[in-house]
Amino acid sequence: MNWLDSTVHRALVEAVLVGVLGGVVGVFVIARRLPFFTMALTHATFPGIVIAALLGVNLYLGGGLFGLLVVAAVLAFGRGRGQDFTTATGIALSGGFALGVVLVSAQDGFTKDLAAYTVGDVLAVGTGDLVATTAVAAGVLLLLALMGKELLLAAFDPVGAAALGLPTVLLDFALLAVVEVTVVATVPALGTILAVALIVGPAATARLLTDRLAPLFPLAAAIGVACALAGVWVSTLWNVATGASIALFVGLVFGAVFLGTAVRGRVRRAAAVRA
Amino acid sequence: MSERAPTLVLDRASVAYGDVPVLEELHGVVHEGEAVALIGPNGAGKSTFIKALLGLVPVVRGRIEVLGRPPAQARRDVAYVPQADTLDPDFPVSVEQVVMMGRYRRIGWLRRPSAEDRAEVADALERVGLAGRARDRFGTLSGGQRQRVLLARAIAAKPRMLLLDEPFNGVDAVSQHALLEAIGSLKAKGASVVVSTHDLAIAHLACDEVCLLNRHQFGFGPTGDVLTPERLRATYGGHALELRGDRVIVTQT
Ligand SMILES: Nc1ncnc2c1ncn2[C@@H]1O[C@H](COP(=O)(O)OP(=O)(O)O)[C@@H](O)[C@H]1O
Ligand SMILES: [Mg+2]
Repeated sequence: MNWLDSTVHRALVEAVLVGVLGGVVGVFVIARRLPFFTMALTHATFPGIVIAALLGVNLYLGGGLFGLLVVAAVLAFGRGRGQDFTTATGIALSGGFALGVVLVSAQDGFTKDLAAYTVGDVLAVGTGDLVATTAVAAGVLLLLALMGKELLLAAFDPVGAAALGLPTVLLDFALLAVVEVTVVATVPALGTILAVALIVGPAATARLLTDRLAPLFPLAAAIGVACALAGVWVSTLWNVATGASIALFVGLVFGAVFLGTAVRGRVRRAAAVRA
Repeated sequence: MSERAPTLVLDRASVAYGDVPVLEELHGVVHEGEAVALIGPNGAGKSTFIKALLGLVPVVRGRIEVLGRPPAQARRDVAYVPQADTLDPDFPVSVEQVVMMGRYRRIGWLRRPSAEDRAEVADALERVGLAGRARDRFGTLSGGQRQRVLLARAIAAKPRMLLLDEPFNGVDAVSQHALLEAIGSLKAKGASVVVSTHDLAIAHLACDEVCLLNRHQFGFGPTGDVLTPERLRATYGGHALELRGDRVIVTQT
């Protein structure tokens, strides 16, 4: 009898993994203002899933590979004359989603599978999913640790990075690909739509609490893990949807911290006026 | 002056994004320890000029040589100072982290800053008068202070050529003085400086040469010879100019 044979144990491990991954990657997503891109990716990977389902290959492999194509397309289009990144992202979002819907409507039979894919179910996570998430988390954390300073410069000052001779196109691709594999790895637990919550929310919450870059990473990871574990706990307790429970916790924590820091800011300002 | 080695050679160069030439017929020489001011109205191509010296915009005709090399191959000895207000003030990065970016080229991939890198960062901040702000977030500083941080980043890179894109825009007098001092000390050590500006007084004060630009070159040479009302009027396409003593004020750009 293996500890991981239990559904709940597997769910807890997955929750910790996606919490850390989403939190850490989210710091870059927030700093680089990529929440919209992240949202778009969740939709743009959709046709890849459908195609994978049609071909009978692994859904996440399909979504992942298709997502990389979308990342490359967004980067290429975003560099075109008179275009910017947001426009390209918007087109990827609607285009990808539309292609997915067309593919689905041309078939019958796997709509149930796809529903599970859009909302996710961390309690249905298998050992294979855990291995995949662990591999993605290890790879992403290693990449961020090794190329952290170059990614930071390319994010903060792209022209300055190019002026140093850094390969900015490659660095942009690396960052967007990291977001992409994170989206895909988070999908089994939260589904395509709710994956955004765990990538954007904890990092945004951490950003309210600190101005410094170094503490942002552990703080966002800790908030992500806490929300993911709380979501799993609540969903097993009351038998409600896990992905949605996690996303709700993320929203609640952000709201509470936002109110807390706003009130503290007001009190400080009032004290400063009196002084 | 002519015994000094040339650091920047422009030989009838044209620079273009894609097929559209933005700057044509650039011609002139800058030597070690000299500063050249790029002067011209908005859209004249000043930023493009600087990007061409970084090898980020291609030379389609003629030749540009930076430190005896094609621009893209001279980058390790060239430092670029962007306009501070082009950078996101909300970005969670500290002043010393920004200055450390000037050391990245020396540190190299996969490596962390050494004690020497840290010492250079502290020294560069000292030289722009912001040693006390090292741990503050970049975006909490004033516009002029941010510009000084970006200059400190360039100083930390120990460049032989310094490129500054409109560093004096919206900068208070204290910061302007600090910037001019720091630029002067780099020049004294033999670095060449290329600085774009709208402020003709600064060109007189800090620069040995002037390059008048508006899509092509309207003059390149010693400041006193080139900054004449006639040439300025030609560069600015007949926009009104006012003359007050030795200062020329462009009333509309
Ligand atoms: N990335 C680009 N692609 C195409 N044209 C550009 C690009 N950047 C600038 N330009 C054009 O080059 C001209 C000069 O721009 P710029 O160098 O920014 O002028 P300045 O810095 O003097 O205001 C502008 O008219 C602009 O239209
Ligand atoms: Mg400009």
